[in-house]
Amino acid sequence: MRDSDALDNNPLVSRSALEAIHSQAFGWALSRCDFDHAIAEDLMQQAYVELLSGNARFDNKSSLKTFVFSVVQNLARSRFRRISSRLRLVKQYHRESVNDVAETVEPVDDGVWRAVRALPARQRDIIELMFCRDLTIEQAAVVMGVSTGTGRVHYDRAKKALRSRLLDSAERS
Amino acid sequence: MKNSDDTIRKQVKRAWPNEGNTGQSSFADAWQAAQRRHATSRRHYSKFAGVAALAAAIVIALNLQSPDEESTIELADLLGSTYWSAPSDILLPDREFDIYQDMPVLFESTEPAGGALL
Repeated sequence: MRDSDALDNNPLVSRSALEAIHSQAFGWALSRCDFDHAIAEDLMQQAYVELLSGNARFDNKSSLKTFVFSVVQNLARSRFRRISSRLRLVKQYHRESVNDVAETVEPVDDGVWRAVRALPARQRDIIELMFCRDLTIEQAAVVMGVSTGTGRVHYDRAKKALRSRLLDSAERS
Repeated sequence: MKNSDDTIRKQVKRAWPNEGNTGQSSFADAWQAAQRRHATSRRHYSKFAGVAALAAAIVIALNLQSPDEESTIELADLLGSTYWSAPSDILLPDREFDIYQDMPVLFESTEPAGGALL
């Protein structure tokens, strides 16, 4: 059934449904861009433009939350692929001046957070999606664009790595 | 002490920087901005489509106005001309026969030419 506030080019998506998952999707966008608020806002706007124009068409094969997370992930990937290729070019000519741009922001200085940050990107992503965004392993794998089996491998490795790091830090303190 | 999955989950969730740490995002603002961007891109697209359609119409109109002229050779021109050029050098013989130089040699020769005595 079509909602009253359904989008013209995306009849299965409604404004109210998007509003309900906005904060979660924004959190995901934030972690895609090293917690830069302005870039995350821009990513969310871009994602909504894709939905409004029908370029990203929701066909009910997954949940809307999974779909919007995938759109944000793809937009972030293409955006940073462009930026990194430009940075590589600039780095060739101005090696020293670019080094400080690539530094990452650590919003919380915490042992657990440091352990999470030390994980490889895929493992960190699946941990975020499952622990902080409450997705299932199947949904998380869809968002990351990998098979469920690969998602499971990333998840298991991430848990093992986190567990050993947390144990190490607990023994040290 | 062995950390269970649930404990790790809770620890990670607590440690994860939430949206509040970097400032809240308003859905209404993001939605309005997205609608503006969408409207702007549609306007640009319709302008571009209009210009493309106009250009296509101009090209078609110009083509219709000047139909292809048939290129035929008039027979009178062909007959009245003394100029002729071979369509290609390939058709020309490899060896030029000089009637004043070569003919006497041929007449006086006792060598067979093409299997027959001249």
